[in-house]
Amino acid sequence: MSNVVAAIAEHEMREPARRPLTEARVFARLRRRLLRNHVSSWLSKSRLRLFLLVIFSVLFWFLLFVLFFEGFFFIGKYLPVGNDLIGSLFSLFFMSLLVMLVFSTGLILYSSLFKSSEAAFLLTTPACSDQIFAFKFQEALAFSSWGFLLLGSPMMTAYGINRLAPPWFYLMFFCCFLAFIFIPGSIGAVATMLIVNYFPRRRRQIAALAGLAVLLGATWWGVHLVRKSPGEVLSETWLDALLARLRFSRGPLWPSRWMSEGLTAAASGDWFTSLFYFCVILANAAFLYVVATVVASLVYRQAYSNSQGSRSGRLPQSWYWLDRWFSRVFFFTNASIRLLVLKDIRTFRRDPVQWSQFLIFFGLLTLYFLSIRRLSYDLNSIYWRNLVSFLNLTVTALILSTFTTRFVFPMVSLEGRKFWILGLLPLHRDHILWGKFAFAAGGALISSELLVVLSDAMLRLDWSIILLHTMTVLILCMGLAGISVGLGARLPSLHEDDPSKIAAGFGGTLNLVVSMLYILVIVVLLALPCHLYFAGLDSQRQGLVIWTEAEFRSWLAVSVALAVAIGYAATVIPMKIGARAFRELEA
Amino acid sequence: MIELVEVTKRFGPKMAVDRLSLHVRAGELVAFLGPNGAGKTTTIKIICGLLNPTSGTVRIANHDVTRDGRDARHLLSYVPDQPYLYEKLTGREFLQFVIDMYGIEPALCARRAGELIELFEMESYVDELTESYSHGMKQRVVFAAALLRDPQVLVVDEPMVGLDPKSARLVKDLLRSRASAGAAVFMSTHTLDVAEQVADRIAIVDRGRLVSCGTLAELQATTQMQGPLEELFLRITGETDEA
Repeated sequence: MSNVVAAIAEHEMREPARRPLTEARVFARLRRRLLRNHVSSWLSKSRLRLFLLVIFSVLFWFLLFVLFFEGFFFIGKYLPVGNDLIGSLFSLFFMSLLVMLVFSTGLILYSSLFKSSEAAFLLTTPACSDQIFAFKFQEALAFSSWGFLLLGSPMMTAYGINRLAPPWFYLMFFCCFLAFIFIPGSIGAVATMLIVNYFPRRRRQIAALAGLAVLLGATWWGVHLVRKSPGEVLSETWLDALLARLRFSRGPLWPSRWMSEGLTAAASGDWFTSLFYFCVILANAAFLYVVATVVASLVYRQAYSNSQGSRSGRLPQSWYWLDRWFSRVFFFTNASIRLLVLKDIRTFRRDPVQWSQFLIFFGLLTLYFLSIRRLSYDLNSIYWRNLVSFLNLTVTALILSTFTTRFVFPMVSLEGRKFWILGLLPLHRDHILWGKFAFAAGGALISSELLVVLSDAMLRLDWSIILLHTMTVLILCMGLAGISVGLGARLPSLHEDDPSKIAAGFGGTLNLVVSMLYILVIVVLLALPCHLYFAGLDSQRQGLVIWTEAEFRSWLAVSVALAVAIGYAATVIPMKIGARAFRELEA
Repeated sequence: MIELVEVTKRFGPKMAVDRLSLHVRAGELVAFLGPNGAGKTTTIKIICGLLNPTSGTVRIANHDVTRDGRDARHLLSYVPDQPYLYEKLTGREFLQFVIDMYGIEPALCARRAGELIELFEMESYVDELTESYSHGMKQRVVFAAALLRDPQVLVVDEPMVGLDPKSARLVKDLLRSRASAGAAVFMSTHTLDVAEQVADRIAIVDRGRLVSCGTLAELQATTQMQGPLEELFLRITGETDEA
């Protein structure tokens, strides 16, 4: 018997010379099958979903295209340093893309390489570590970058049409983009594997700290840029100073510079320069990808073993005061809803990915709002202060919408495999959904109201405007929570464990688009009367009065009534749709 | 075939497996028993190469799992307690993926796959996407995938979970027949009846340590009890608690 086994083992050992190719083909075949079955499943079961996805994507694409087209037209026609400015803006855009893709690909890969059941299954097969890595890497790269293609393609199309670029410019953009994403993707992948391998117990904290460091650096640079740029906005000196500040993103070793140079050369028909930069990007992308696969073949298995080895210890009791405090303060609410909210609060505070991102973004906004007086915004006219205050409110709401998409929308989906626990509880299923709504709306309300009141106070705005803003935030928070919880229940991905994939999927994208449209409608509705009234006040010296105070009050009352009605609809309708779907949910 | 030599696995301060040595020979079926948290699944994951031991050696047909992992995994089939299948593949496509992955001769495998589909009575659903399968249906596909290439080493974690009585009987017979055909079968289970019926030897682990190993008769002799395996198991693990 042992002879037979030895013979088999010897045969297996002779085989590896042709295996890498075979494995790559096996994975390619698996990918093709999965893709084909996904598409046919969508076409047969989710035609409406697919139709909506296409419609929203096309609408979003055209909206962005128009915005970029107008922007490029304005820069080209009115700004004396238009070409330089566009080159710098492209470099900055691709540099931001570079940083964001490092983090998003790294985070998605962390889930797929170290947390998924699929990884455990593949690691028990004879497949090489680098082949498993390559298979999961392609998937992570597609998930993390498709949104950027949706954002970048209208920008480049608008630029190409503005510059009357040759047809091959568009093909060059696609090829450059495809090669470019491998650079941040590979860096993110290497960082993820090394962090998990060498710091298995502190991996989340290290990722959060790295993110914080990048964001703090970006904020410091942003504030520095605005504070040091002299002269009137859009004047020649201001633009020159701005270009000087942006020059750092055009260093010859930055991939963002290669993209920018290659694409601007392609737009002007200079195929030689364009091809040169494409080759530079491709060579670096290929090199980094090879580095990532070598790192994978060396450390992936060990890193997987290390990541499985770290277990959470006994949790400290020090945070339980928060739970007791919550139960006492909200003693009047339905006990079962209160318990469900408490469960979500505990999950939130025990997941560093959630609270660290929340702290980073809202912490940065707080820093910015606190520096408003140092930027002397509070000394401007009431027209400018009103404008800045609404812009601050909009930024807060937009960031909030990304959080509701990333963390609230996947909440129902993430209950998928544990759904039997909730399903068997002696409470109405609607209560579960309203519990999630209360958690999302409560958390959003506390953080956003504090930020907006801080911004208004720093801008020395009148109490009546502050009151209007707090009410706007209330309407926005309720609506955003309603949309995310409702759509999350209507379009759940019950078999997906990774929240970033749920957020990046169709439902998450739809949620983000609807949330942004909602913010746009509410903010425009409430900001427009204020803007027109204060613009009139500002122009009184030129004899221009748009509205009297009485007219302003009447229009504002109409706007408020409309905003409340839309906010109510945006809260209740998605929740009702979600509740109906949730009642019928079988998991 | 499966050789564990002084294998230790630590998770920080916690000792999950403590100097465990065990040898499963070709043609032998060993049942691996132990209370919850005793280190059974950790040991199985070490054998399959999912976890690296903190110290000690694991060899599959003389291949060190840590150093020659690929060759070792080539000889091994693993059936986990929670079966993993690609939800957007059909059962048949999943079997095809396993055939492709192990580079088995297509004609031989097509015949073998057909036999296993018939044996596990999967004809009615094998061409549907696995997302619609019940736990038991998934378990059957995973068993079929594991047996497709007549593995020399079969590692099974809780094989009876989710199987109906007929499938459970079939799996018991298959495990036994694999051992009779010369494979080394290592099975972790809480179902003591199954262990008693099919195992050549029974290994009992508690708090990461191998506390007893032998045939049922040997265990009875060691504990000086003539009762069923359940009584022996409780006595052995109970004695460990008292110690």
